[in-house]
Amino acid sequence: MATTIAHPKTKWDTLHNNGPFPLKTLYVTELAGDGNIPAKIDRYNDVAEEIQRLIKETADDNEGFRAYGSRWSMNNIAHHKDRMHYNGFMNIHLPIAEADCHDDTTYDASNLFLFECGNTIKEVSKQLSAHGKSLKTTGASNGQTIAGCISTGVHGSALDVGSVQDYVVGLNLIIGPNPEDVVYLERHTKPALNDVFASKLKARVIRNDGLFNAALVGLGAFGFIHGVVIEAEPRFLLNRYVKKIDKNIALKLAETMDFKNSSFKIPEETDEQGNANRPYHYKIFINQYNDDLEYVVELMYKKPYVVPYEDPFPVIKESLYRDLIHLFVKMAENFPKSIPWLVRRLRKTILPTVNEELIGTVPEIFWDAPYQGPAFACSFGVDHKDAPRTMKLLGDLTKKEGPIPGIFAMRFVKKSEATLAFTKFPITCMIEIDGVLWKKTRRIMSVTEFSKRMIETLQQNNIPFTMHWGKTGNWTFPGLVAHMFGDDTVNEWKNYRNGLLSEDMAKLFSNDFLETTGLSEKNLDDTDDWIVSL
Amino acid sequence: MKKSNSKTSRGLLLVCLLFLLQSCYSVRLKSINGSEQPDPVSERTDDYRNMTVMEIDTVLTIKATTSIPTFLVKKNALCKSGQLHTVEYRNTLGSVLLSAVTLGRKRKMKVKYVCVKPSN
Repeated sequence: MATTIAHPKTKWDTLHNNGPFPLKTLYVTELAGDGNIPAKIDRYNDVAEEIQRLIKETADDNEGFRAYGSRWSMNNIAHHKDRMHYNGFMNIHLPIAEADCHDDTTYDASNLFLFECGNTIKEVSKQLSAHGKSLKTTGASNGQTIAGCISTGVHGSALDVGSVQDYVVGLNLIIGPNPEDVVYLERHTKPALNDVFASKLKARVIRNDGLFNAALVGLGAFGFIHGVVIEAEPRFLLNRYVKKIDKNIALKLAETMDFKNSSFKIPEETDEQGNANRPYHYKIFINQYNDDLEYVVELMYKKPYVVPYEDPFPVIKESLYRDLIHLFVKMAENFPKSIPWLVRRLRKTILPTVNEELIGTVPEIFWDAPYQGPAFACSFGVDHKDAPRTMKLLGDLTKKEGPIPGIFAMRFVKKSEATLAFTKFPITCMIEIDGVLWKKTRRIMSVTEFSKRMIETLQQNNIPFTMHWGKTGNWTFPGLVAHMFGDDTVNEWKNYRNGLLSEDMAKLFSNDFLETTGLSEKNLDDTDDWIVSL
Repeated sequence: MKKSNSKTSRGLLLVCLLFLLQSCYSVRLKSINGSEQPDPVSERTDDYRNMTVMEIDTVLTIKATTSIPTFLVKKNALCKSGQLHTVEYRNTLGSVLLSAVTLGRKRKMKVKYVCVKPSN
């Protein structure tokens, strides 16, 4: 039997110390050992029953419940003040056999895998590598759990691939304490698994594009994500280059995404006509405090997997003294004018090494994050055509009303089908300023105030935008979510949620973040028809 | 006056010696594969945040004929997989001197280690 320990707690915090937030109980569940329940599918179903028991226990006490994994989100989206569930030990994976696939599926069974919620991206990659497969993209890091990634729309900079949720083809949710509350969702226009497989999970099947797309970036509001079926692909290599290029060229590429006709070329990455190849990944680093005429850019090109290749890891990995970072923060808080100087001093740590070239697989290139201490990141999604203008506005704001202890970067992500994906533009440019977390003083505004000024600046300049669900922001900004997605989209998302969850469960799976953003409100529409299996 | 100066000098020397004996460096070994065993209840804010860390700070007493004592890593609640992921070894001048003075029979061991997260 799966076991859970309930730890009495008073507070909970994110990995990057963006809290602390109040908490009453922390549940930690571990699966039964394989010596007791040998079959993976039986252990998976056994722990599902345990989660339902916890949901019932919480509902009986009229409290709220929220699952979390690695605590990587930089706000309270993963938090609940009553009961939280740590799912990091729930890390079963099951390869999908051809016999498990739907008759009408277009997926290759060998690319399909079911991962339990607590698998981190690093664990997923490790299991896939053992099958000669790879994730299509990650969040350019590896510590988040698969359920956490999709719930908040984690992205890298794979401009023609998308975000993590975009290769999810099925969701196994636990939406309540009763047997019929285990559901398996997938798109009706693109089914993946058959009903026989779903019955092995003791799940009720709902094939419905709208419901699936709403639940995909579900912000933890669609119940407990127990398992995620993903489509992987054959393992591949990435050639990574770091270059310093004319800032106008870098921004022109951001605006047009026309790499073929750009004057910027990497000789090894051209086609037979000598035109530049389109990269898999493009990222621009911008130190807004520096008037350099050149920007550091990172480009990656997808290559077939061939061995041997040069080891992408250094022999020794160095990191800054924590005391030095602490000193940086104190200086920033008390002498904000010193921030541009401090950023310049730390540029070798903050920015990748120019002219560095590496080759490796996705998990090798996007390995462990070097710094996991207190941090902030404000991340805005805009149409890539608006990227240079947005960057100018936000950069100027940061210089004029800051300085703020962080630097900007631009990443590019293909549009997602998820209803509330912040990657909603054909190619979304995610403009992000990240850095060390500081405390407000009379000399420097708070990060929430800074976020508010960024939102106001974009609104005043009529630039349509979204914000990363898992990042720092002024989430209490009036009408923010409706401004980002429009009332119709927001109502559609709410209707699917209200259709899927009972009123009690909608309340149980809500939290302060959803209430602040107005997403927990119950719509008056009759939502029963919304969740039929098509 | 001379006596008090000499006392001060001896005091300073003692402080310096204590400081030197405590002076240390650490080196860490970490596997590039596998994940660290998490500890959701931990509130650590150092390099081991979110991880289950075993800390050993002891003096091993070994036979004169023993060359390298092997400390066994066992499967338990703090090391569910029984496999090592990260090891940090700390050395001090004091521990080197202790080993030298006792002809290797006493060996100071100050180690932190994290095991691999178990998979299901």
